[in-house]
Amino acid sequence: MHSTVRTRRRSVPLAAAAAVAALALTSACSGSSDQSVPGAPAAAHKKAKTSALDKLIEREAPASASLMPPGSTAAEIKKNGTLVVGGTQTAALFSQLDPTTGKVEGFDAAMSRLLAKYIIGEPKTKLVNVTAATREALLKNHSVDTVFATYTITPERSKVVNFAGPYYVDGLGIQLREDQTGIASLTDLKGKTVITQSGSTAAAVVKKHVPSAKIQLFDTNTECLQALRQGRGDAYVLDQGVLAGNASTNPDVKVLSTAYEEQPYGIGIPLDRPDFKKFVNEWLKKIEADGTWATVWKNTIGTQVPGPVPAPPTLD
Amino acid sequence: MHVITSHWGVLGRGLLVSLELSAWTFLFAAAGGLLLAVCRISPVRPLRLFAALYVSAVRSVPLLVLLTLFVFGLPEIGLVYSLFWTVVSAMALYWAAFFGETVRAGVRSVPPGQTEAARALGLTFRQVLRHVIVPQALRCTVQPLASLLIAVVLNSSLAAAVGVTQELTGQTVLLDQQYAQPLVTFGAAAACYVLLTLAIGRAAAVLERRLAVLR
Repeated sequence: MHSTVRTRRRSVPLAAAAAVAALALTSACSGSSDQSVPGAPAAAHKKAKTSALDKLIEREAPASASLMPPGSTAAEIKKNGTLVVGGTQTAALFSQLDPTTGKVEGFDAAMSRLLAKYIIGEPKTKLVNVTAATREALLKNHSVDTVFATYTITPERSKVVNFAGPYYVDGLGIQLREDQTGIASLTDLKGKTVITQSGSTAAAVVKKHVPSAKIQLFDTNTECLQALRQGRGDAYVLDQGVLAGNASTNPDVKVLSTAYEEQPYGIGIPLDRPDFKKFVNEWLKKIEADGTWATVWKNTIGTQVPGPVPAPPTLD
Repeated sequence: MHVITSHWGVLGRGLLVSLELSAWTFLFAAAGGLLLAVCRISPVRPLRLFAALYVSAVRSVPLLVLLTLFVFGLPEIGLVYSLFWTVVSAMALYWAAFFGETVRAGVRSVPPGQTEAARALGLTFRQVLRHVIVPQALRCTVQPLASLLIAVVLNSSLAAAVGVTQELTGQTVLLDQQYAQPLVTFGAAAACYVLLTLAIGRAAAVLERRLAVLR
């Protein structure tokens, strides 16, 4: 059905690898179109990736007791036996529920499991669904221990929650319907209706660059994507990694290659738990140094974003 | 507190959109509801059946489900129009069922003897409705209809969940996201809604007194 080669789906800071990108994407496309066939190569491929991550999590050594003194947040979580993570089930490549396994998979999901293994000794996490609107509140009232949810670090948010990291840097991308033409950059959105997620940083950025754009807000990525596909807007602006994930599961949308405004993702931690922020930052340093971070990237985001593994962002 | 004092405009505009949304919804719901009520008491059996089916079907679906169905479902069959009017049409169709039942109850409160008397005088079905039943029925439905209007206003907040974030609750959510002070922002929104419903209650009381017939 969608046999045309789509070279525009390449993503983020790796535009340099354009040639490789075209090649890699061609194969990615044919892969996704085969997914309905049981036992297709794509499915087998995915399984291999998942088990690579499982092995990685198995290898992650628990933190030594000296790092978790009694009374610290980490020790408390260990005592509880599960890491309560605020996340989502609908962000492809980052944290998406795989209905065939019942497991949440992606970059954020793998990172949260690794952290749970590091603290508790077992990758036991409990996912609490959050939206861009509820993250701060859930951290504030301690409904969740931490938030892994493509959570951009901003000065306003830093006033109400702690951020460990950044552990990933993304840029804002533009998503269009496959058949759309005439929009090639942010400035082409003048006077157009732009869909984005309420509570995300994208709305402010679009308003800053193109004040004449009309902003249409929806609560979740799924709703935004659906609204774009149904023609309720001319473009969908959000973090490019998320948009690439959308394009990987929906052949009728594409992502423009240019990205705008760096979006550093942080791990959300309650404001009154500064010790846990330090603990998580130390852990991030460790997994970035020993190559764990790179392996996670390669097996999640790297399956859609071509090019070599980027260097992890430097911690704040 | 300064979140509110420096954002009166935001809340005010939100309130205005909420009012607009509720007003259009109530207007269309009234038109549809009256029609439904007429169908339900008409001597034509298929009309009665249709109205009864409509009411029991629409009333059984949660409003949020209906809204989602309209906003994300209609485009699937090629029907895309502005989000505001999509929401208004869904809400109007929903509340029309309630409006119709309220009016029907009012009509039922008019003693059948009056209808018989009017018929005996040679009035047609339309005339019986216009001159005998509807004036009396509306009088005793003022309070229930005011309650309905209050429900319409309060439930207009559901529009924010399907993308009409310009209305009061939507604006409050956005303010809360920016400043993370739910107690203050939602408190202010709640106060706005309370003021609205109190005003509707007062208006209904005044209207009822005006319409009252001394017997």
